[in-house]
Amino acid sequence: MSTDVSPGTRAPVRVWQGSDRGGPEAGDSATPGGPDPEMAGTPVFDLQALNVYYGKFRAVRDVNLQVRAKQITAFIGPSGCGKTTVLRCLNRMNDLVASARIDGTILYHGHDLYQPSVDPVEVRRRIGMVFQKPNPFPKSIYDNVAYGPRIGSMKGNMDDIVEQALRKAALWDEVKTRLKSSAQELSGGQQQRLCIARTIATQPEVILMDEPCSALDPIATTRIEDLMQDLKSEYTIVIVTHNMQQAARVSDKTAFFTAEVNPESDTRTGTLVEFDDTQKIFTSPSDERTESYVTGRFG
Amino acid sequence: MPETRKVFHEELDELTSSVVRLAAMASEAIQSGTSALLDFDLAGAEQMIADDRILDGLAHDMEERVYLLLARQQPMAVDLRTLVTIVRVAHELERIGDLMVNVAKATRRIYPRELDPKLRGIIDRMREQATAQLQVAADAFADRDAERARALNDMDDVMDDLQKELFRTIFSFPARDEAAVQLAVQVALVGRYFERIADHAVNVAERVPYIVTGTLFPRDALDATLTEA
Repeated sequence: MSTDVSPGTRAPVRVWQGSDRGGPEAGDSATPGGPDPEMAGTPVFDLQALNVYYGKFRAVRDVNLQVRAKQITAFIGPSGCGKTTVLRCLNRMNDLVASARIDGTILYHGHDLYQPSVDPVEVRRRIGMVFQKPNPFPKSIYDNVAYGPRIGSMKGNMDDIVEQALRKAALWDEVKTRLKSSAQELSGGQQQRLCIARTIATQPEVILMDEPCSALDPIATTRIEDLMQDLKSEYTIVIVTHNMQQAARVSDKTAFFTAEVNPESDTRTGTLVEFDDTQKIFTSPSDERTESYVTGRFG
Repeated sequence: MPETRKVFHEELDELTSSVVRLAAMASEAIQSGTSALLDFDLAGAEQMIADDRILDGLAHDMEERVYLLLARQQPMAVDLRTLVTIVRVAHELERIGDLMVNVAKATRRIYPRELDPKLRGIIDRMREQATAQLQVAADAFADRDAERARALNDMDDVMDDLQKELFRTIFSFPARDEAAVQLAVQVALVGRYFERIADHAVNVAERVPYIVTGTLFPRDALDATLTEA
């Protein structure tokens, strides 16, 4: 692997040295001889005994799983099972909730994502997020996509950056003649693809998707699902979905979470029940609780 | 938590009951078809042939119901495995009915010649063996009993032995004229039909472990075969 990474390209190994946008340097212990972080199947995230708390309330307990490079990993489970909470831990979005804290470890390419020296802003550039409701800024299509690269002082021709991001998000042909129009004139499905383009524009390694299709019609949904398959060759994707069929259609790995009721406090704590190949989860899961959920024998 | 797909699961249960009903109809076809042959009952043979349309109809109806559920319900896990198994199993049971139609037609071709008592005895034992194997297969399916399903392989050896015995017996009779040769061919074919019926029962049973375990074929063995190919 080359150690000479030009500015602006992705260098996932060194997220935490906030302002250091450069790639891994010679002698960086994470690179020479180690697994190629770009290679499909290499672990990107390694969650070890992860617990998430909001104040004293434990929202998620004892999650252990690995997310691998250039795969689509789906989190499924009933409401309140902690799947979105875990997703938001992966790019430290939960830092924005004052009472939230985690224990256990989330390793990103072998490095602790929650170390004090890690810059959460840089984390979120490398690990982008697409939300349930398309949330374009009240700006033009162009400015939406250019927003991240501009504030991140990304080098390169901005027109090219915007075009590339829109192409990768399968939106270019639909908007190339009206880049200066307001993003809010786009349809819901186009807005969501714009949000994906906006995420891509900052050249992340990982895209987290929190129910990205739940506000979209079926046609727009299938376009996003197709897009995810295209993006998989370059990005690692983690998706939270309420739609089991969607998880079955798009993902390589599936994690099934459920909510356990705490008898003394009548609260619910999310827990990971089973994590396996998607094919296995939907044809012959190992755990009875997964079986019950995917066959609709419990809600 | 309450079950969320009650209507779908009721339809799935109905289909499972239909498999048992189809197996019962196939078993009845074995009885009536063999009786017609052994009793020289041409009317009974015709009735058996007519009744097979009902068996075919039920099998085809089940197949359609499975496809509808696949399309509309997107079944998962054990539900998916059960549905695809039902399609396969219904086909196997339908084939048993078709083979008994062949036996009934042989009745017409053999008539009015008499069957030697030795041959009648072997054919009657084949009927018993086929019925027993079908019963085990249907029970294994209904009870999701993979162990009982596996026992069928041993039972099938008995049917293979009966077929060999039938052939030996046929060869022990001198074929004096063309009529005798034709009779011998018809009886040999009847033996072959029973042997096939028993195989279909084995095929039904072979699908049961898939419902239970989710393993259709050992993946390693498949990969090895494909590599050779």
